Amino acid sequence: MPHEELHGSIPASYPALTFPRQTLVSLLVFAVVWEVMSHLAPVLGIPPFAIPSLLRIAKSIATITPIDIVVTLARVIGALIASFVLGLVLAMAMYRSEPLEKYLHPMIRILMAVPVVSWILFAVLWFPGVEFRIGFVLVVVCGPVFLVDTLDAMRGVSRELRHMMQSFRPTTWQFFRKLMLPAVVPTIFTSWKVNISLAIRVVTIAELVGAVTGIGHQLSVAQELFSVADVFAWTIVLVALLFLLEAIVAQIEARLLRWRP
Amino acid sequence: MNGPPPIAVRGLRKVFRQTTTGQSVIAIDRLDLTIAPREVVAIVGQTGCGKSTFFDLMIGLDAPTEGTIRIGTKSPHTDFDYFRGKIATVFQQDRLLPWRSALDNAKLPLELIGLSESEQRERALSWLKRLGLGAFTNAYPHELSGGMRQRVAIARAFVVQPDILLADEAFGHLDEVTAAELRETFLALARECGSTAILITHQLEEAIGVGDRIVVFGGSAKLLADIRVAGWPKSKYALLREAIQSTLQSNKRDPRLTNFRSSPRKRGSRKRSTSGH
Repeated sequence: MPHEELHGSIPASYPALTFPRQTLVSLLVFAVVWEVMSHLAPVLGIPPFAIPSLLRIAKSIATITPIDIVVTLARVIGALIASFVLGLVLAMAMYRSEPLEKYLHPMIRILMAVPVVSWILFAVLWFPGVEFRIGFVLVVVCGPVFLVDTLDAMRGVSRELRHMMQSFRPTTWQFFRKLMLPAVVPTIFTSWKVNISLAIRVVTIAELVGAVTGIGHQLSVAQELFSVADVFAWTIVLVALLFLLEAIVAQIEARLLRWRP
Repeated sequence: MNGPPPIAVRGLRKVFRQTTTGQSVIAIDRLDLTIAPREVVAIVGQTGCGKSTFFDLMIGLDAPTEGTIRIGTKSPHTDFDYFRGKIATVFQQDRLLPWRSALDNAKLPLELIGLSESEQRERALSWLKRLGLGAFTNAYPHELSGGMRQRVAIARAFVVQPDILLADEAFGHLDEVTAAELRETFLALARECGSTAILITHQLEEAIGVGDRIVVFGGSAKLLADIRVAGWPKSKYALLREAIQSTLQSNKRDPRLTNFRSSPRKRGSRKRSTSGH
């Protein structure tokens, strides 16, 4: 089969949580190389703790505390929902009001340009509560992404469809509910996928700096104990969480967008 | 049942300012037009003559620069919400919402006027069945042919049984057989609903085949001719077509349109004359 045809045969939304043979083979190869390296580490002059064996990593995984996973997951999901609602409402307001859009847009651009570490430091200096700090950082990082993506998608709704809808004289709320929101659903899902990955990374850094619970905090503890196995184990958990959340979003997306040819 | 109100267009003028050059473009220049209740009026004109601008002003999406449009005593622009469920549109492209099934597309205007879910469903189903789409109510637009999609768009327009129906080149993109069939259906339904219908078209065959009246626009929607088709016997349609064509090309009223003296007939006689189409 020609190369182009192979590319063409890849479905647009790749089903999550499926493991093609190639993925399994590459993971297996990585595991074998890691295991060999862990045995060769002393010979190569590398400290043994730097490349722990797979068995040691498995033991670390077995001792993982589920409460930290739940806490991190709750922070991520809560902040993503808050960011989404805020981004959506502001996008609708900015779509409706040109002056508001002109005033807010430069501000949003500036917010998006601020590094995550700066936001974490601001949060630590400004707010006393740990949860509020983490929530603030997540919302201020993910909210603008939802806002900008949604606003762009609303502007991209065809003039023909807007004209048709307006000709039937909807109220403002009906106009958004019947036309704009369904029309931007595909973009919203893309935005969710981007933001899940972003939120997982940001929450880890935020917890690493200023929390006493969650995966980020556990990574900080592992670093203090020089336990690469624990770092590895928690990293595997983070990656698995990301894949799980993406899979859930992909399932909802497939269900809601079943109208697409 | 009250019939639809008359439409009175007086001194209508629409001027656009070009964003690039800053120059003013007169799209419609002092148009006067009266349309009686239940009349089917075809508006013909060459591209850029202001037909679509007139369409937008009739819907009420745009405001006139000068002059007025009155439907009864109300303006479609300033009394925008009043006409919810009273004015319906069919566009050149079907403009169906791709995420909605045929049924959900057809019931969209009913949702906007706030009918109960069961009534929406019942009325939309009934119209889809009348338009021969009873077996396709759950199909998405991409699963339907162009003609079927336009039928859904027609059902969407008729489902509220509007006073005023506006169609902008509604059949122009379809093959001739499908277009002719849909024109007949559209006309029959408009008569049955007692709606006033305004069809914008550049196809003379369509204008002659559908309209009680043909209004011919020149540049800036200058009214070149206002023809009562009912006064023309079917045997003279070729002459009528030629005269309109000549009017459009010369931007002057063709004398044959003036010289032809038709005996006024009551509305309804045309229905009989076109029934054999």
